[in-house]
Amino acid sequence: MSVFMDLNVNYTADKSQLQSLIETAAHLGFSTVAINYVFEPTEIPAPTAISELMDPLPIVQGRSRPIRVLNRLTIVMSDASHFRPTAVEYRRFDLLAVQPTTEKLFHAACMIYDVDIICISVTEKLPFFFKRAPVNGAIERGLVFEVSYSAAIRDSTRRRYTIANAVCLMETCKGKVRPLPVPPLDLRGPYDITNLGLLFGLSDGEAKEAVSSTCRSVVLHAETRKTASGIIYTVKSCSDSPPADCKSRLHPVSQSSGWLMVNE
Amino acid sequence: MVRVKSRYLLCEVNVSDRSRLLLLDDRAVAATVKAAVARIHGDYGAALCSIRFSVKYLNAHTGIVFLRFPKKCYRLLWSALPFITCIETRGQKISCFLNCLHVGGTMRTCQKFLIRYNTQQLHRMLPKCKNEEEKQQVQKAILNCSLTGRNKEAFEVESESEEDEEEE
Repeated sequence: MSVFMDLNVNYTADKSQLQSLIETAAHLGFSTVAINYVFEPTEIPAPTAISELMDPLPIVQGRSRPIRVLNRLTIVMSDASHFRPTAVEYRRFDLLAVQPTTEKLFHAACMIYDVDIICISVTEKLPFFFKRAPVNGAIERGLVFEVSYSAAIRDSTRRRYTIANAVCLMETCKGKVRPLPVPPLDLRGPYDITNLGLLFGLSDGEAKEAVSSTCRSVVLHAETRKTASGIIYTVKSCSDSPPADCKSRLHPVSQSSGWLMVNE
Repeated sequence: MVRVKSRYLLCEVNVSDRSRLLLLDDRAVAATVKAAVARIHGDYGAALCSIRFSVKYLNAHTGIVFLRFPKKCYRLLWSALPFITCIETRGQKISCFLNCLHVGGTMRTCQKFLIRYNTQQLHRMLPKCKNEEEKQQVQKAILNCSLTGRNKEAFEVESESEEDEEEE
């Protein structure tokens, strides 16, 4: 059984809407969901604690475990100073994503920046083309490209841009793409998203991977980003303890892939 | 004997408020699906849709739909289903989305899956019961599913005994 994840659920201040979204995601069969906070250049939003949001978490359809909710930050970058890799606030988020708007930033994001996901905006024709070099570099580092499909569902012109950008991306990177939704009411089941992947030019196996194993690799990559060379994994022993009290566990690491084996 | 093969898609209609579900009827769903396919895949899609597409079963209380597509092009037509955002029926628009649960070659396999799925849904509903009476009803329904060997239908599924069609 594969694990389906939906890594972009837009954060709304309305709690009940967010709760209903998480419930719908659990009903559809997603085992992990990430709440996305989009970064304004002025201030970084603080993520709400998950337990405050909804308790208890709904059980995933077809499994016995409750859905896992992560926090994610997306930084829309039009300038290199927007992304500060050492900012403390970034640590509260589990996943980091970047949306570059110029070619230089795209190149920098692929090669240098320490993020997990690179978002490709679909609402307009991209001003730059994808070059093989940064794309391959990003894939080697474990980054993943992301295409949002909710705009495609709403509007016909946006649908064309979505499909055009996605197909263009597909040609250069041969897979390693994740489609993702932006709710409300835009959530679609995992098999439906797999089918959309077919429309974007992925093959059958790749499309299913895009929703399951690629997402899982992103989450693992995010966890390794938090660790020291992927070897020591610090865990808070209770929710309010300061960092000095953290236990540290040693986990074996397979050096070739740089992933962390985490026992949950 | 040459057998005409189809694919039956078991879909669930998700709405934000369940009272609107009761307005659904099969012609509205069929029209919506045809319109969506025509919008996404153009004339080619609309032509494919007219061959052997139909809505075989619709349960307004649970929101389950069986759609039948020809086997050769069911993937293409399936890919248009996520783009459905609302179903228009009797002058009212119900905003919803379709979630595909199962693809089967015959109605019987889809029905078997639906029975298992409904049983699982009943199990999921049990912890959420608000009072003792509801709990008893749900427990009785679950027992009904698994007790007798012959009467294996969950209480929400109407008996659908259509077999896969031979040459038409």
